[in-house]
Amino acid sequence: MATAVHDDLFAPDVIADPYGYFGRLRAEDPVHWNGKYEVWVITRYDDVVWLIRHPELFSSEVFKRDPRPPYPPIPEADIQMYSLVREFFADFFIQHDRPSHTEMRMVVHGYFTPRAMEAWRPMVRAAIKDLLDEAEAKGQMDVMQDFATPLPVLVIARMLGLPQQDRRFIRELAQKLLFIGRGDPTRMRPLTDGINGLVDYLSPLIDERLAHPGDDLLSVLASGEGRGAYSRDEVLANAVLLLLAGHETTINLICNGTLALIRHPEQWALLQESPALAVRATEECLRYDPPVKSLQRIAAEDVDLRGNVLRKLDRARWFIPSANRDPGKFPEPDQFDITRDPNPHVAFGSGIHHCLGATLARVEGQEAFSALVERFPAMHLTTEELEYQPSITFRSLKALPVTWN
Amino acid sequence: MPRTLRVRVDHTVCVGNAMCTAIAPGVFTLNDDRQSQVVDPAGETEEKILEAAENCPVGAILVENADTGERLFPATRELPNGPSARSSR
Repeated sequence: MATAVHDDLFAPDVIADPYGYFGRLRAEDPVHWNGKYEVWVITRYDDVVWLIRHPELFSSEVFKRDPRPPYPPIPEADIQMYSLVREFFADFFIQHDRPSHTEMRMVVHGYFTPRAMEAWRPMVRAAIKDLLDEAEAKGQMDVMQDFATPLPVLVIARMLGLPQQDRRFIRELAQKLLFIGRGDPTRMRPLTDGINGLVDYLSPLIDERLAHPGDDLLSVLASGEGRGAYSRDEVLANAVLLLLAGHETTINLICNGTLALIRHPEQWALLQESPALAVRATEECLRYDPPVKSLQRIAAEDVDLRGNVLRKLDRARWFIPSANRDPGKFPEPDQFDITRDPNPHVAFGSGIHHCLGATLARVEGQEAFSALVERFPAMHLTTEELEYQPSITFRSLKALPVTWN
Repeated sequence: MPRTLRVRVDHTVCVGNAMCTAIAPGVFTLNDDRQSQVVDPAGETEEKILEAAENCPVGAILVENADTGERLFPATRELPNGPSARSSR
């Protein structure tokens, strides 16, 4: 079925309101061929879940298998840099299929069990208190810069056993890697700089962990080399992955969730009255305005989906914001309702690649939202002019300035 | 003689992460919806089964002593978190 919807996934209207754009695709052309970027755009909940639960049909080896140049296009002169970026990202365990994916994930999976993450809750709570004490003294804050950014960087740095004074440096490098989901044609330069910087930083730390293993996450990951699950290059790449995935997504969860709560004062008040709703409220924030906008697979063979033939090596991108607002799955999908139950959103994906850090993100979200509503009952925006990063991978606010006076 | 276990997977929360099928393949397998199902609650040692339950990222696996009904996982004192929090089990 054809649709009149344009194909520019980086257009300002799509970046500002993915729900309108992808919602229309979901209704009119749920398995849409985007000719501009040569990618299938998958927007229905059931299709998204089916696709990601069939990893044998839709490979995660996107960087390794995709024969086409990156999209949007980059200058000819940057192709060399793209090769490096591509090789590096291809070593991420999330870019692997079975059986190597299982072996690689197993090394770190046990670190992130719900029980293990629960043990971090007091540390998360204390870190939140410190950050909000500072903010309260100032009378206003940018939720992004002053709260949502330092918190997850602090937590993941602590887990990896990285010196706390390195946090700003880590954040600066990690920000360069976020260019992967952006349309900027010059993005290969910051990507390459970010990779090189983080590899230089982490290499000696990994050597040290291999010589003197501790119980930190970096030691756990490095142990994968001895177990034959990772090469040294893969240990390095996946240390970068953990550092990156461990915070950008959480920043977005906290910012997008805080914004949703501010824009629905009755929900803010409800959470304040009933702190036990923090678990469901966090799930609803994850559903309503998810941190990750879309991820990609590559067809491992010809696949028929709703009468469309996805050819082998075709790109297929699945969009979480539209799946999470699918009226076929969620009653009143555009309503923000922190009591929603059940809430089988796909903010963390599904299937074998379901987010490794999901429980950690949940703990951070629950503690962050609980603390905000308790301490700042009158929190409101100081501007209505909110902007998002031009990314198709992340739903990232540029800033979220608030006050409570 | 090992005790008899009752093992269940809550399909309202299972996301098909399939770690249980990697850790305890004699007990768990994926169904047509790619969610975990129990094929043989005695297909692995108790230790392996509890390891699989503990490693479920959404807490979808329930393990009990079949004779006494005693819950072995998750422990009742544990705080529910995320999607499994909503089931009243």
